[in-house]
Amino acid sequence: MTPKASRSVEAYWSFTASKTGNSLILPDGRCDIIFRYNIQSTDAPIPVVTGPATQPYTVEYDVGDSWLGMRLRPSSSAALWQSNIVNAANNVLRGPQALTLLPELAALNHSSLTQTNLEQALEMIRPRNVDPRLTRTLDAIHLSGGRMRIDKLAQFSGCSARHLNRVFQCNVGLTTKTYAQLVQFHRALKLIRHEHLPITDAAFEGGYADHAHLTRAFRRYGGFIPSEIPENLSLPILPS
Amino acid sequence: MRYCLGMKLGYTIIYVADVPKTVAFYETAFGLTQRFIHESDLYAEMETGGTVLSFAGNEAAEMSGLAIIPNDPTGPAAGWEICFVTDDVSAAYEHAVANGCSPVSGPSDKPWGQTVSFVRDLNGCIVEIASPIALAS
Repeated sequence: MTPKASRSVEAYWSFTASKTGNSLILPDGRCDIIFRYNIQSTDAPIPVVTGPATQPYTVEYDVGDSWLGMRLRPSSSAALWQSNIVNAANNVLRGPQALTLLPELAALNHSSLTQTNLEQALEMIRPRNVDPRLTRTLDAIHLSGGRMRIDKLAQFSGCSARHLNRVFQCNVGLTTKTYAQLVQFHRALKLIRHEHLPITDAAFEGGYADHAHLTRAFRRYGGFIPSEIPENLSLPILPS
Repeated sequence: MRYCLGMKLGYTIIYVADVPKTVAFYETAFGLTQRFIHESDLYAEMETGGTVLSFAGNEAAEMSGLAIIPNDPTGPAAGWEICFVTDDVSAAYEHAVANGCSPVSGPSDKPWGQTVSFVRDLNGCIVEIASPIALAS
């Protein structure tokens, strides 16, 4: 799946832990709808709904702990949170709270929890008409590695910066700037982790003023410094 | 000291929003022919001789880990251009403008003996159309 395609669909994912451990979930500005359960237990799966994340968090797990989830595309956040979208960032609803927001999840229990059923239950949160200017802006943010400034993004999308910010916040639930900074952080992280660039070079190519600027972004969005990138990142693994 | 690395210019690759549309545009506006297009529609090559003019989808840049400013016909052009050389600059310029290019500057004769003109393509990229220039012997 191309990066653009992955931004324009909901991504279903599942994971079962084969050993005890923990992992650091990095924020990417998208919302998740998750069921957490243990394959060796008869306890009912616990529904979890997250707002667009801008902060990292750690998940601890035991053998058999499992997740089945759907990660929303960035433009779908408002379809999930409705008018609560303005306060949804980094919000996590568990159990009854999640059911209050999404009563449809109550129909899913151990025996009926499948991707197909989850898909059906969540049919109504598919946004019908995404503003094409929002799609264009999201593409430009990802293409430029988060380095295009808001005025340039607005010009590219054919509206004013003020209007773009409003559309962005009302649909994604984050400011354009925060979302772009998340994209910039992920790209710099990738340049260091996968392309093995020295930190100073990654800072330059990633659009940070200097090493210190990159370090501040890594602390803020990852909770670690660039020279000490943890091994246990981003699990459960999403389809790339 | 200069090292001989055996480098030669093989490709000029322009990242575009829509590869098939850009190919069709270049065929119509500049009379080029397509020599290859990948089934994904994310990469195509034009028949341009020793140095290949290619178009790749913007997403291809993202997949390669690059960060780019997408070309934008409504904004200023990126700081580079491609140049087509022809003996009849006026006819080529008129043809390009009649087939969708935005005019930038019409044919003008330069003191060094060359006729040059500039248009912008569907993606906003600068394309120069110029006469050949004889290198001083």
